[in-house]
Amino acid sequence: MNIQSQFKSRFLHWIFLVPTVLVLVVFLYFPAWQSLILSLFRSNLFLGTRQFIGFENFKNLFTGPLAPAYGQVFVQTIVFSVLVIFPGLVISLILATLTNSLGKEGKIYRILLIWPYALSPAVAGTIFSFMFNPETGAVNTFLGLFTSWQPRWLDSPLLVFFLVVSGSIWKNLGYNIVFYLAFLQNIPAENYEAAALDGAGTFRQFLKITIPLVSPVSYFLVFTNMSYALFEAFALVDILTSGGPVGSPPVDHAGLTTFLIYKVFQDGFGGSSNMGFAAAQSVILMVLVALLTMFQFKFGETKVHYGGSSS
Amino acid sequence: MKKLFSSILFMILCVSLFAGGQKETDAAANSMAASSQPKEIQFWFSFSDDKRSGWIKDLAADWNASHTEYKIVAEQKGSYRETLQAAVLASRQSVAPHLVHVFEVGSQLAFDSGIFEPIGNIGSFDTSDYIQPVLNYYTLNGTVNSIPFNSSSPILYINEDMMIQAGLDPKNPPETFEEIIAACEKAKAAGVTEAGLGFNLHGWFYEQWLAEQGAPIVNNGNGRDGRATETMLDSKESKIIFNFIKELNDKGFYKYTGKLEDWGGSDAIFQEGKVMFHITSTADLGNISTAIDDRFQMGTGRLPIPGSSKRNGVVIGGASVWLTKGHPMDEMEAARDFILFLTNTENMMDWHKMTGYYPVRNSSIEKLEQEGWFTEAPTRTIAFTQLLETESNMATAGGLMGTFGDTRTIVEEAIQKVLNGADVDASIEQAKTLADLKLSEYNKNF
Amino acid sequence: MTRKKKTLIHMILIISAFFIAFPLIFALLKATQSPGQVMSATLWPGSMFFENIKNVWVNYNFYQYMFTSLKISFVIMVGKTFFSFFAAFALVFMNFKGKKVLFGMILVTLMMPTEMLIIGMFDLVSLQPPENAVHFLKWILNPKAFLLEPIRYGFGWTDKPLSIVIPFLASATAVFFFRQHFRNIPGSLMDASLIDGAGPFRFILHVLFPLSRNTIGALFVVQFIYAWNQYLWPRVIIRNESAQAVQVGLKALIGNSEGVEWGQVMAGTIMTMIPPLIILILLHDHFMRGIALTDNK
Repeated sequence: MNIQSQFKSRFLHWIFLVPTVLVLVVFLYFPAWQSLILSLFRSNLFLGTRQFIGFENFKNLFTGPLAPAYGQVFVQTIVFSVLVIFPGLVISLILATLTNSLGKEGKIYRILLIWPYALSPAVAGTIFSFMFNPETGAVNTFLGLFTSWQPRWLDSPLLVFFLVVSGSIWKNLGYNIVFYLAFLQNIPAENYEAAALDGAGTFRQFLKITIPLVSPVSYFLVFTNMSYALFEAFALVDILTSGGPVGSPPVDHAGLTTFLIYKVFQDGFGGSSNMGFAAAQSVILMVLVALLTMFQFKFGETKVHYGGSSS
Repeated sequence: MKKLFSSILFMILCVSLFAGGQKETDAAANSMAASSQPKEIQFWFSFSDDKRSGWIKDLAADWNASHTEYKIVAEQKGSYRETLQAAVLASRQSVAPHLVHVFEVGSQLAFDSGIFEPIGNIGSFDTSDYIQPVLNYYTLNGTVNSIPFNSSSPILYINEDMMIQAGLDPKNPPETFEEIIAACEKAKAAGVTEAGLGFNLHGWFYEQWLAEQGAPIVNNGNGRDGRATETMLDSKESKIIFNFIKELNDKGFYKYTGKLEDWGGSDAIFQEGKVMFHITSTADLGNISTAIDDRFQMGTGRLPIPGSSKRNGVVIGGASVWLTKGHPMDEMEAARDFILFLTNTENMMDWHKMTGYYPVRNSSIEKLEQEGWFTEAPTRTIAFTQLLETESNMATAGGLMGTFGDTRTIVEEAIQKVLNGADVDASIEQAKTLADLKLSEYNKNF
Repeated sequence: MTRKKKTLIHMILIISAFFIAFPLIFALLKATQSPGQVMSATLWPGSMFFENIKNVWVNYNFYQYMFTSLKISFVIMVGKTFFSFFAAFALVFMNFKGKKVLFGMILVTLMMPTEMLIIGMFDLVSLQPPENAVHFLKWILNPKAFLLEPIRYGFGWTDKPLSIVIPFLASATAVFFFRQHFRNIPGSLMDASLIDGAGPFRFILHVLFPLSRNTIGALFVVQFIYAWNQYLWPRVIIRNESAQAVQVGLKALIGNSEGVEWGQVMAGTIMTMIPPLIILILLHDHFMRGIALTDNK
């Protein structure tokens, strides 16, 4: 694009930018700084107390009796993210590719596949908690008609993890499919025709052409899904499992579906509350997210070129 | 130059945002004072079911009909924990509700938060009719802090049809942990597939079982002689409870939904006829019998306790209504009057009949006796028997600690660990370490 | 593609679509059943649908939740799109000093989701505002108090819808979305406008806006759904049911205690899904085109 010719004005650009910048400074920068400050204090929400304690909150996260719980939460958050992102993206891509391959005939499937974008994590959690109640839920009642197998959906560590992951994948399918479909529509058919002439089968075409072509959008989706796994899954967990259950050693220090953001919430607003301790966890989350974003920018550039899409 | 301009603009916007917020509250205050509308008295409570919240709202409407100057606005605020939290936060912004429904384990936290005014300081009024042990629970340093409202204790609910099918006598329900297990085993042998005991995994039951055994949950006279500094989760009484649940579970007799504190889920298990025994609050007597309708015959029994212990009694608790500081005196008095109205003789009788909570007044009990309420259906007396049998001591008075909520969660998680195969002693040890740490962290706030 | 293969693809897609829709179909069927039926395995529709809806709507204040959420989602959708449009305009089509710095400032917030900041935000939004401008200036002009101590004053917005609207009126994502789109607009259009002597507003109205319909449509969908799905922040900051967002209201339906009426809860979930579905369906075409344009960088 042509950068030379641009509008010039003495103050118009400020008027255009101020609302956005002001909101970002007041409601993102300032709270971020405040979290950092608060992490150095012991602060009970109910008592309204604030005592400066230096790095004690951070120390408690890494050593001492509170540390194993944090460690467990950290690890299971990563496992959860990976389990939500990759299978979710693969399923979405396959469904989007199949729909796209039908051309105009596939139009009907579009709406059938993308509606879950309107699903909220809270709705997914509510429906799942009704379906999967181990004693009175429909799934076990249904299973009871054929077998005596009654899975303990909400307190068996593996099953509960499976349930929360499936709920998240389900909730995200619509979003992922939308992006893949929008992208695939724009891939010229010649790409495939040439490959078909070379005798490449459907699977090879998918592997050799589709996957590399969609890599920029996959890349983008990895990060939006990660943001879901780290933050938005809160509602699903809050409604479906309340962060539970506690497993047996070695995963007996915290609820198995207590993820980083849920723990921030629990330690800050639940129980007897130490907002400082929760703030220290927010700070660690910020560092984690900052690292991930830097990683995204660094590798994102090269990936996009590799994708070979129009730039 | 431009930078300066922008920073000035930013400041102006900031100030106007703050000032805007300020103006609004001022305006609200002015309009409150100027209008001839009745003054609103806010009451936040935490019953989420139609029945109980409807009852409160109806009574508020009754009261409002006979008062022109004040208007009670009763609002449901989520769980007990959330209600207390909401009140504390509202108070920080000077928009505290006048009356707050606080559960017994929140007493210390409510007290420490400093947002409440002991109701005993608001004029003089007669409290002699309130059941003494219950009132004692809410009396600190000789002043009545809050007015007891809904008190209950856990009892055993029985699916009598299953007991009969198992060849057991429903009129003679199990009274001890050992008898529960024996009854379940007998029922299983007799082919009752749903033999077992269900209760939601909740620290409240654990606390009741400690009290029945006369064991405190924290040191310093259960937190009543001085601020508690250490929990007693590793007592032998505590281990007895853990081992009972473990045995129950190992034998396949324990049933719950897998979620902690899932009251509704556990009730549903019992109502759907999926378990022979069920433990929950007497307060659910009304709701549960309505839900069961005539699907099976329901009976009740006393809370089973360890066979090794005598019955010390239950924790006299439940929830009470607290008054927050900082309102004009006339509003405080009106709020107090409403809560005295809510808990008057007739209303408490009605409350008891509908729900199963104890009426907290002696006169209500007398009248119920005169009406023959207790002789009509024996299920109704269980709760009173438990209350009247209770010995007054520091264990049954209930523990006081600022981190009671955390301790509950820690105990629940420790039990869940055991259900998932962890070792009892190790789990208890871990739980104690954590609970003690939370407690000492909390105490450092003072 | 062979006929056989096509049939196979249809089969796979039909089965997948069914599986994906199943929980929703289940919820819809259960929403029609009476309390007696709802706990059983039967999926036969009952006759209680309207009664369940009515109960949730009236007894559980669902109309209030829905109304609040509609209001805030609409304001966020329009406000955020509007502000971001102009911010991106300044960044792309205008030349001024400090552009790089501002651009960087906005860029950095890409990695700051609100959920991560709830602890800091909570004090800022919930604490009482200063009594007057003097107190405020004393605080803000004293670096030690303003920067190095935990927050002293806030906006006092607990329980007010403002608290779940204002912080969401700006977003780096939306600015980038527009920026990306604007940069794909041929420079010749801009040159033509300049030669015509058109000012920025005429350019926006006659050139940029018509060209941005799909992008705006796509953002409307994204932002509406984002605002509608808000959960954690309202759960923390709003404690008044009359100002609560619908997703948290859904949790209130399940409640904390006895007697959950699952038929009614399912009716509630169905209602919660309707507004975002309507937006998605209405703007579906714009949405698909809008995101395709922008992510094709």
